[in-house]
Amino acid sequence: MNTEMHDKRIPIIKIKDFLIVSIQVDMHDKLAIALQSQILDAIGKTGAKGVLIDISVLEMVDSFIGRMLSGMASMASIMDAAVVIVGMQPAVAITLVELGLEMPGVDTALNMEKGIDMLEKRLREQKLEL
Amino acid sequence: MSEQYNIEKFKERIERIENVLASVAAGDMDARIESQTEDDLSGVEAALDLLIDDLTDELRQRDIMQKESDEKLSKIQEQQKTIMQQQEDLLELSSPVSKVWDNILILPVIGTLDSQRTQIMMENLLQKIVDTGCTMAILDITGVPTVDTQVANHLLKTVTSARLLGAECILSGISPAIAQTIVHLGIDLSIIRTKATLQDAMIFAIRQNKQSDDARLRRQLADSNENHE
Repeated sequence: MNTEMHDKRIPIIKIKDFLIVSIQVDMHDKLAIALQSQILDAIGKTGAKGVLIDISVLEMVDSFIGRMLSGMASMASIMDAAVVIVGMQPAVAITLVELGLEMPGVDTALNMEKGIDMLEKRLREQKLEL
Repeated sequence: MSEQYNIEKFKERIERIENVLASVAAGDMDARIESQTEDDLSGVEAALDLLIDDLTDELRQRDIMQKESDEKLSKIQEQQKTIMQQQEDLLELSSPVSKVWDNILILPVIGTLDSQRTQIMMENLLQKIVDTGCTMAILDITGVPTVDTQVANHLLKTVTSARLLGAECILSGISPAIAQTIVHLGIDLSIIRTKATLQDAMIFAIRQNKQSDDARLRRQLADSNENHE
């Protein structure tokens, strides 16, 4: 059981102030919960200011995963880290909206580059405010 | 002797009647009994002949009607095919998404919106956003005569899905009539950015573009300065 979970772990990469999570396998509920706590652990450990979650290869997102993503965004923002969902596919967006999961409060970007731009801009604004 | 003869003759005539009825049943509508003698049986024979005549007429009429209705049916089917074809063409033609500026897409909507059309429109727009990487999309509804709850809901869905992809939608060209209906229906469009005309929307989008470009340049400049120091 433990090794199985270990095998399917999704890597969390830290680059400068950001964590990059690229989901490249089909998400099931257990994996989603594990990923959520992993990311929050990583934010706590590294003190990252932003998390980029790339879901460009996910062809299906159910209501559970959708709720997990928006839940994670609010948890991360309590820990002072912004979450940006990157590269959502049109079909996934339509499904989520039809399910009524409009994910308020979650930032989205078309691709990784735009996501990083967005987070950098926000960080800079925060710094300027100080 | 004569009685015997009569019985023989009657037998023959009845056989004749049986034969004619059998051939009519088999489909030969020209068969008639056509008896020459005048007696009690001849009345029955003549009545049967008349009956066969009537039947023939009825059958002929039925054939004609069948042929007519077949023709009408095939004509209707052909018309239906044409209508379907035209509907498909219309759906494909009616939702073009074009890139008009760096980072800006325009979707002009013309004509009445129904669920099917809005669905196709939405899919086209989202696909185009992903393909081109544009983060601004202008939905121009100048050419839409009326908006009902369903259509407004679809527009909201389109805007929300675009936001989930990471693009912003601007709604432009809302006519006074549509503004009135939307407010009367109690639909909340406050989450959508709306502009009066396509021109205003374009100006807003270009300005927004420029701002983010400037911000990026400034950041890069600041970064390089930090690095030099």
